[in-house]
Amino acid sequence: MKIRILYFIFFLNITISVSSNEALNESQIHKNLRCLVCQGQSIADSNSEFAQTLKMVVKDLIKQGKTEDEIYSFLSDKYGDWILYKPKFNYENFFLWSFPYIVLVFGGLIVFFLIKKQQKKT
Amino acid sequence: MLSNIGNFLLFLNILLSCLAIYFSVSCLKTTNDLVLKKIYQTSLLQCTTILISFFTLVAAFIISDFSVINVYENSHSQKPLFYKISGTWGNHEGSLLLWVIILTVFSYLFLILNKNHPKNYRLYTLVIQNLLILGFLIFILFNSNPFSFVSPLPNEGLGLNPILQDPALAIHPPLLYVGFVGSSIYFSAAMASMITNYSDKLFAKSIKTWVLISWSFQTLGILVGSIWAYYELGWGGFWFWDPVENASLLPWFAMTALLHSLLVLEKRNALYFWTIILCLLTFILSVTGTFLVRSGILNSVHTFANDPTRGIYILMYLSLMILASVYILFTRYKPASIEINSNSKETFVLVNNWFMMFYLITVLLGTLYPIFTDAMTNNKISVGPPFYNSVIIPVVVLFLFFMAIGPNVKWIKNKFINFKIYLLIFLAAVLLNFIIFSFFKSYSVISNLIVISSLFLIFSSIFDIFKKSSYNFPRVISHLSFGFLILFIGLNHNFSIEKDFNLKVGETKQIDNFKFYLKDLKLTQDTNYKTITGQLKVNDLFTKEERILKPEIRIYDNPKTLTYEASIQSNFLRDYYLSMSNIDRSEYYNIKFQKKPLMIWIWISVATLSLGGFLSLIRHAKYN
Repeated sequence: MKIRILYFIFFLNITISVSSNEALNESQIHKNLRCLVCQGQSIADSNSEFAQTLKMVVKDLIKQGKTEDEIYSFLSDKYGDWILYKPKFNYENFFLWSFPYIVLVFGGLIVFFLIKKQQKKT
Repeated sequence: MLSNIGNFLLFLNILLSCLAIYFSVSCLKTTNDLVLKKIYQTSLLQCTTILISFFTLVAAFIISDFSVINVYENSHSQKPLFYKISGTWGNHEGSLLLWVIILTVFSYLFLILNKNHPKNYRLYTLVIQNLLILGFLIFILFNSNPFSFVSPLPNEGLGLNPILQDPALAIHPPLLYVGFVGSSIYFSAAMASMITNYSDKLFAKSIKTWVLISWSFQTLGILVGSIWAYYELGWGGFWFWDPVENASLLPWFAMTALLHSLLVLEKRNALYFWTIILCLLTFILSVTGTFLVRSGILNSVHTFANDPTRGIYILMYLSLMILASVYILFTRYKPASIEINSNSKETFVLVNNWFMMFYLITVLLGTLYPIFTDAMTNNKISVGPPFYNSVIIPVVVLFLFFMAIGPNVKWIKNKFINFKIYLLIFLAAVLLNFIIFSFFKSYSVISNLIVISSLFLIFSSIFDIFKKSSYNFPRVISHLSFGFLILFIGLNHNFSIEKDFNLKVGETKQIDNFKFYLKDLKLTQDTNYKTITGQLKVNDLFTKEERILKPEIRIYDNPKTLTYEASIQSNFLRDYYLSMSNIDRSEYYNIKFQKKPLMIWIWISVATLSLGGFLSLIRHAKYN
């Protein structure tokens, strides 16, 4: 019975989550773009002219019906990957994206085997 | 004059440090278990002279003695007294002096507070700590000397960067330094412990106080730093995953792991070498952080004025430290038999360490990766908040569940934990989460999971208080606070409202349910800056609330800088945050408005998280 309630509630949560597929979030895109003339600020945080201009460019690109990824690749073609706060998942950054998970899995295995080994002894 | 006194005292400190090493080494050979009196005296004298040299610098700042280079470069006679004083450690050279003070004072305190531990262990700790001190003294004296003489005498100083003229930033460095420089003492103690084979529970007891002190202060330091970033950097964020912030977070992860593995060493006499590695790692990461921040190889919001020679010196220091510690670790390493049962507390401590290492490596990798790609492929990339958020947050969910269950398991062996109770707690967490999200109508899978898991931790911690007759109060406080911290960050992130737009005087703009009206601008003159204050009326059309926010643009004269002071109105439910900035060649002002729910609770949770550390310190002192 409890399990059934659990399923029910969980299912409810998931359905609600999935049903909310929002339109392109402008400020979300701004946060992912580095203000190139500032010290470590995104264009969402910056007051510089560069940030102002880039915000308009983004607005324009959204109007043209570009997707979020298309906007990113358009801008990184123009300004280089330095502008994207979320590094692309490509050959060069493969290590960056995968290594944390390798650590996570290996760490888990180490802990698991330490315990396993011990249980055999006792 | 003050310049000479300062230099003399620094020289004297180098001599005293050598003397302390010499006395300690000669005392190592004696057979009785007494530390010579002159060692105590030398160590005390070191503390005194380094403090006097620091106060000499403070005095130079107070009287604006511009013949001292540090005062000339970072102060101005028109600056308020408070910021003259805090300016002492608000710059590279002065903060290094603070480093050495903490190294020296901790060295002395460790010596006198551990009288019931073996002589040689204490002496080796003193020797190693003094080697660390010497390294820094030499660095200060020959590369970053705050007392260098300026000739001819300038009439006026260059002034302190205005965004550093702030009460939070006055106390931020000392707090943070007690945290990560304080970790030096257990670096030294860990080395000494390996050299003298002092590897049992008592070793754990001798360093526990220091680990708790540094952890609690580090936590507070990070808190004050992010509060400062929240209201001073003027963007309404409080954590930017900026390299400099990461540099303070890395030792924190290592300390947190250490804090937990130390429990296993103390209670069960296991995991000795792992604990040692964490001791070494914490301080190594602290120095690494200093290197990254001071050498200027990273692009950050919090830039220090930088100079490559500093970087090279710190890098040499760091390499020597790592080499020495790795060498001693390898020569002394003995594989130990570990007695760990699944479902015992030891297992959960290991789980904690496993996750801490994951966070640590992720943040370290993210911080350093751009340097590598730049060097290898000449392609500059940025690793920013989206990377950390997407890698770390899903793992935090799992971590919180372990964190809730772990403390309730017994040491050594345990029957399976009460499954039914956890199921009930889980159900309650899911239900409450559902209520929250359906009430506010904003959804995403990951925020749901974060809220569920943090509620799970919160409920089970509260359950501990009522259910168990004896529980570890400091632990419950810290775990509970961490649960609340993640919960509030999750809710805050999910339900924050942000508006970014341009407005001119007299104009009204409506965005969704908010109406903004820029009434007028006022120009006022303060002691060392001019202020343009905006009067903005904000109407919430849903709640019919109306409030006036007054953001400022400050124009400082020395040095010439603009700063933007956000107007923040906070209460226990939400913060209204508004900042205003001028746009070049235009009568419009850029306005950033945010309504951030539960903001104040994020600060409170971190404060109580650190309170748990302090309470644990008291508890530890009482029982030992």
